[in-house]
Amino acid sequence: MRNGETGEALIGAMLVVKELPGTGVTSNAYGFYSLTFPEGFYTIFIQYLGYTTRKDTLHFYHNRLINFDLTPEPIRVGEVVISGERTNANVTSTDIGVNKLEVKEIQSIPVLLGEKDILKTIQLLPGIKSAGEGSTGFYARGGGTDQNLIVLDEAPIYNSSHLLGFLSVFNSDAIKDVKVITGGIPAEYGGRLSSVLDIRTNDGNNKEFGGSGGIGLLASRLTLEGPIVADQGSFIISGRRTYADLFFKLSSDTTINRASLYFYDLNMKANYTLGDKDRLFLSGYFGRDNFNYPNTFGFNWGNTTATLRWNHIFGDHLFSNTSFILSDYEYSNSIGVGTSQFDITSGIKDLNFKMDFQYFTNSQNTLKFGVNSIYHTFLPGTVTAGSTSFTNSLTIENRYALENAAYFSHELDVVSGVKLNYGLRFSIFNLLGPAHIYSYDESGAVVDTATYHSGDFIKTYTNLEPRVSANVLLDATSSIKASYTRTTQYLHLLSNSTTSNPSDLWVPSSTNVKPQLADQYDVGYFKNFNDNQFEASMEFYYKNMQNLIDYKNGADILLNQNVEALLLYGRGWSYGSELLVRKKYGQVTGWVAYTLSKTEEQFDQINNGLAFPARQDRTHDISVVAIYDYNSTWNFSATWVYNTGNAVTFPSGGYLLKAENRWIPLYTERNGYRMPAYHRLDLSATWKLGPRSNLNFSLYNAYDRMNAYSINFRQDPNNPDKTEAVQTTFFPIIPSVTYNFNF
Amino acid sequence: MTSIFLVGFLSGCQQVVSVDLNTANPRVVVEGTIKDQPGPYSVFLSMTGSYFDTTLVDPPISHAQVVISDDLGNRDTLNEVVSGTYQSSKLIGVSGRTYTLSVKAGGKNYMAISSMPPKVFIDSLYALPRHSVGGESGYDIYVVFKDPPSLGNYYRINARSSAVIPADSIDGKRYRLFTDKLTNGNEMTERIRAGRNVQSGDTITIELCSIDKASYDYFHTLSDILSSDRSPTSLSPANPNSNISGDALGYFAAFTVDTKKIIIP
Repeated sequence: MRNGETGEALIGAMLVVKELPGTGVTSNAYGFYSLTFPEGFYTIFIQYLGYTTRKDTLHFYHNRLINFDLTPEPIRVGEVVISGERTNANVTSTDIGVNKLEVKEIQSIPVLLGEKDILKTIQLLPGIKSAGEGSTGFYARGGGTDQNLIVLDEAPIYNSSHLLGFLSVFNSDAIKDVKVITGGIPAEYGGRLSSVLDIRTNDGNNKEFGGSGGIGLLASRLTLEGPIVADQGSFIISGRRTYADLFFKLSSDTTINRASLYFYDLNMKANYTLGDKDRLFLSGYFGRDNFNYPNTFGFNWGNTTATLRWNHIFGDHLFSNTSFILSDYEYSNSIGVGTSQFDITSGIKDLNFKMDFQYFTNSQNTLKFGVNSIYHTFLPGTVTAGSTSFTNSLTIENRYALENAAYFSHELDVVSGVKLNYGLRFSIFNLLGPAHIYSYDESGAVVDTATYHSGDFIKTYTNLEPRVSANVLLDATSSIKASYTRTTQYLHLLSNSTTSNPSDLWVPSSTNVKPQLADQYDVGYFKNFNDNQFEASMEFYYKNMQNLIDYKNGADILLNQNVEALLLYGRGWSYGSELLVRKKYGQVTGWVAYTLSKTEEQFDQINNGLAFPARQDRTHDISVVAIYDYNSTWNFSATWVYNTGNAVTFPSGGYLLKAENRWIPLYTERNGYRMPAYHRLDLSATWKLGPRSNLNFSLYNAYDRMNAYSINFRQDPNNPDKTEAVQTTFFPIIPSVTYNFNF
Repeated sequence: MTSIFLVGFLSGCQQVVSVDLNTANPRVVVEGTIKDQPGPYSVFLSMTGSYFDTTLVDPPISHAQVVISDDLGNRDTLNEVVSGTYQSSKLIGVSGRTYTLSVKAGGKNYMAISSMPPKVFIDSLYALPRHSVGGESGYDIYVVFKDPPSLGNYYRINARSSAVIPADSIDGKRYRLFTDKLTNGNEMTERIRAGRNVQSGDTITIELCSIDKASYDYFHTLSDILSSDRSPTSLSPANPNSNISGDALGYFAAFTVDTKKIIIP
């Protein structure tokens, strides 16, 4: 199923057969569908949000391959929406804890400085919480920021932030579809504990050349797309760059005008259709951040991914996708002046092979199965120093690992109105040589060293991960769903900062570090109102997590061969309820999301072994999103967020260190205090200047709430005999304007 | 425009706020040092108070028995000269020796051990005007010394100025801490950003202290909770890693000091 104007494959378009109630199918991530029913004349409807519903009466006999082109809807103004156009897929599917964002929603919700950003926008969904203002990191149902599997065209992204987290690496111009799963994670996804963020990029227009772009305060964007061979293949190139540093060039100061501060990213994709049964995709992402202040410091980091995919249809029912994926994350930091300068580099590289099959037996059964094999190379850190530098060169040994998985899942209609999706993922993780593996005693001292050679299997972990979800339809507009999900995570992110730091280190499971495990139970009630115009859901979840990682006090993670000696292991649990009411159609669209939850952790060596609220614990979390298509010229949007302040550790006493002449805070319970509640309103207006351009005005933090980024305790600098609490606010009211165009 | 925005972001806006804090049950604080300089050496004993204490003076612990001994059997019982302040009378710190502090107070025993590392001398000092982001003026002082050949040297540098003595004289902190993890055996030039009040003609005193690993751990975890600038002090602030047994706060450190002065040109 495709967009009739651009040839773009449509993900999740729904085909229903009028004469056979309950018979329908949804197109997969590549726009493919397969449906089996008896021969005859049938009327079919194909529905997709934002597109005119297509109705065809066709004669179906033995096997037919039919490609459907859908036409995007014109701008709707005060229109009466035809019933039957609206789908109730959210009620009838077995998806639970799953949210999809429409591109239109992402495009209408500016997040900061007029830039659109999916990682910020998904934080407005229930169950997903921001890891901090200005951060692209997010917590999914009490999970850490490293427990989210973020895949861009099937390639895992290891660091998804630009500018230390102000923006994500995903250029919204290149994005076709975004799906976030925090509940029932299907068996085809694995490797992370708490969520999946599956991002698909546009294929490019295969009918005509075109482009679009935008000029904002922070960055400018340009996208070009067009056919390689009309109707057979297309390409798309989408780029973005910030230009704050161009102002440095104007400085007369010779140091400042050589400084750089920018990021760029480039998404490229080409696809080619080889006959009816085969399609090839080649896509790549290149992004880099660069901060450099001459003679003082510089650091830069970036992700590179390349994906080659081959879609093949075996017979009429079996769809396959084979992918070869390369992911590379690299960080480098240069410190010092002139000849004493030295560089620190670290990173992670993946070679990834995936085969996924989807077998459409009949309209009541769909089978999915596949394999995945990833070869990881971890580069924890290398110091390169010039010969005159007073720093020595140093390399922390690389680690190598193989992460394999095989899965199947079966979705079936057990009886009319009862759907079951059961699956199993089997994962194997091998830590491979060459390596020197240390064992540690309680105090973290090395007690033994084992030497392994290339090809040696150092440590193997295997896990069975059952995934089950079920749907019981109560009537045409309501259902009850439930799921159980076990997930395993073999890679761990070591970080000692709240923001996503480019120097954060990914490490493998090993003899000392066990894989993290999670079991999640989820039940929900789903109900649509007013002929599917409103979707509502209420979900309850309980998640239990094992082998979580924290650090000993003062742990120095950077360039430490014995980093595993600094880790502490514990467990965590999270439970809560999530309420979502969403209006999908009409002049005003949007949603209200409310989450009530609790997340706690317990480590034997922290907080005297007592459970404490996790950093990601937020009792209340509310998001309100409204998008208003006022007329053909003006579009407005507003978002309001409120959440309970983070759990933090504040002092519960003080004492004087005489030699330092300093009043020292005394800490007792971990995370025993709360930051002030956070709330913020953002407003945006888009003025269409013509069919091909618009101006967007936005106001971040419209009522200028002084939200606390941090609260620090210190001696008053003007009166050392007094102590005070100082709150820092980073984001006051910020207006911005962006010009967008296409051609 | 954008650069102004970014600078605005990075600096943020600060305001003093009122926060309700609990006051925990008082705990014992022990603070003691011994150097390779002539004594007397002091040990301070006190109890913790509330964080927003009005006087910032914690209650002293009097009538304690305080003894420092070394690995050669020398022993000095400290005298209480002021309430809570105990001083040695005959002990002399010597590099290479291991010192033990024993405290008996309120029926409980507290003990700590610290080794005085080999002394490292400052070869020279020089000062250059600072060039930094935002055109902040001031001077950088370069401390030149030779790190000994064996790995595992831990340093603390203190700086003092003859003019106004800034509370946090080095990079907004009280001291600079570093190790030879990446620089073992090398000729070192450690750059110290002296406080912004420093001007031409001022005398700066630099102390290079060789400390042991336990003291380094203490001062390192102490500076984690003391950084007074805008960044959140620490993800999960905790009490510094103390080398004192018996659940007391504080530290006992034996260290060597080499002192040199420089007049800012």
